[in-house]
Amino acid sequence: MMELPPTRAGHIGRALSASAILLFLALPIVIILVTSFGADGIGTFPPQEYSTRWYQQMAAPGGNWATSIALSSLIAALTTVFSLILGVTAATALARGRLPLHAAVYGLVLAPMLIPQVVIALGLFLFFEPAGMLGSPLAIALGHTVLAAPIAVLIMISTLRGIDERLEDAAASMGASRMTIARRITFPLATPGLIAAAIFSFITSFDEFFIAQFLSTPDTRTLPVLVFNALQFDVDPTVTAVSAVLIALAILALTLVALVRKLSGHRNTQGGVLPVEPLT
Amino acid sequence: MKTSAKRGHRSRIALVNAVPVTVFLLVLFVYPIIGVLSLSLEGDSGGFTFHWYIDALSGVNLSVLLSTLRISAETAVLSLLVGFVLAHAIARMRPVFAALAMLIVVVPHFISALVRTYGWIIMLGEHGLINTLLTSAHVPGAPFSLLYNETGVVIGTTSVMLPYTVLILQGVMRGVDGRLLAAAAGFGASRLTIFRRVYLPLVAPGIGTAGLLSFILCLGYYITPALMGGDKQTVVAALIDQQVMKQDQWNSAAAFGVILLLLTFAGLGVLGLARLRRKRTHQRRSSS
Repeated sequence: MMELPPTRAGHIGRALSASAILLFLALPIVIILVTSFGADGIGTFPPQEYSTRWYQQMAAPGGNWATSIALSSLIAALTTVFSLILGVTAATALARGRLPLHAAVYGLVLAPMLIPQVVIALGLFLFFEPAGMLGSPLAIALGHTVLAAPIAVLIMISTLRGIDERLEDAAASMGASRMTIARRITFPLATPGLIAAAIFSFITSFDEFFIAQFLSTPDTRTLPVLVFNALQFDVDPTVTAVSAVLIALAILALTLVALVRKLSGHRNTQGGVLPVEPLT
Repeated sequence: MKTSAKRGHRSRIALVNAVPVTVFLLVLFVYPIIGVLSLSLEGDSGGFTFHWYIDALSGVNLSVLLSTLRISAETAVLSLLVGFVLAHAIARMRPVFAALAMLIVVVPHFISALVRTYGWIIMLGEHGLINTLLTSAHVPGAPFSLLYNETGVVIGTTSVMLPYTVLILQGVMRGVDGRLLAAAAGFGASRLTIFRRVYLPLVAPGIGTAGLLSFILCLGYYITPALMGGDKQTVVAALIDQQVMKQDQWNSAAAFGVILLLLTFAGLGVLGLARLRRKRTHQRRSSS
């Protein structure tokens, strides 16, 4: 972009301010990772002594944390299945077909990303409460799908747009049936996008707090709800280890997405994976 | 002939495939929001009333609403400023560094906001890292109270919104044609003039979008204000949570929800209008 020759002072100033801002973004995460290995339970940084006791406490079978990790995983898995189904079908309609009311459907799909989550959560509470479904993992997963499906749809749209339709036409001209084309051409080419959509749906649900908070009961608290309560009311130091695991999980998920895209020869690793894209 | 058959087939397939997501969102997104709307207009013993809105817009409730708007505006301005500086620097970095910097911007975005907020709580406390550093550097006035007040909330929410602003600004900055700047320099414009008269107008749409977006996203945001704000710093979303979970004041919560919704629509409307106007100007220019 800017092709003016840089001045030295400008160069140094930019480098310094950029580093400071990047530190501002990364520091809270680094602090959590280090603190989680601290032996004292009050989150001092840097810790005086190191240990893994909070990790052991978190993993203790039958404990609060282990139970909610299992619950969150179940809900996230359900959410992933739902939003993949919705994502694949909706993206087929929006990216490939000539859909009447295209703009209306597209707008409806994007809306959950922009509407305040507290309003969605309140609405879902009013919806599920009369049905006696508060605390049901299915209800929470359906609620999470409202937030995860738009992301899956966007990823699948950019995946489908990236597939050269001439390949499908070529297969058709050689007599392949629609089923065969879908199975042998489209599906293999769309697999990296599907994996990315699945991973992002999973993290969206696993990290989601507001809807889970409104739809949960004291017996069914997802991991974020438990973390929030721990941070707000108790000073349970286990929460540092839980947070560190959440960080590791997010980094693992993003690495997986990058890996899949790289292996499949995709150049643009950011395309279609961020919720901000439709707005730019 | 063959193409029109293909077209007809395509629109049938599209229609069938659009059904699941449309039905799902109408049932679990649109209908529940209509439920919120109707609850906000319902009197204690049924019937229609504006009571909950009047209640939401007066006394303590109004001050919560105003402080939510203020915090959102402060966050939007701050994340815009910080985001601009960072995006601008990234645009001029060598590709390797730029990629690394974008990684540091994007990765935190996918880490739970709860976790990042917790990191800030550890850092900003009276004996946290920041105050320890400031005290040992003998900064006058240190330790500062950076937690459980508005300063803390704005720092926390800004770090949550920053990835959005950086990504949007990055997008527009990459689209700026460097030849325009070089041309201005060729005509003898100073750096400041080029920045002000050429560069800023070119990236202005991105600035508007990024600012409004972070404002809108902040309006209903809850995690950071609830954890870093202390007892006095309530935001609307926290109030809604309290009213539903502790006080059973559903109608009032619903009225607040609708107010948030209207504010969001207003922000999105401004965004849409600005985009429409830009499009029109473009068309007029290219047609003349």
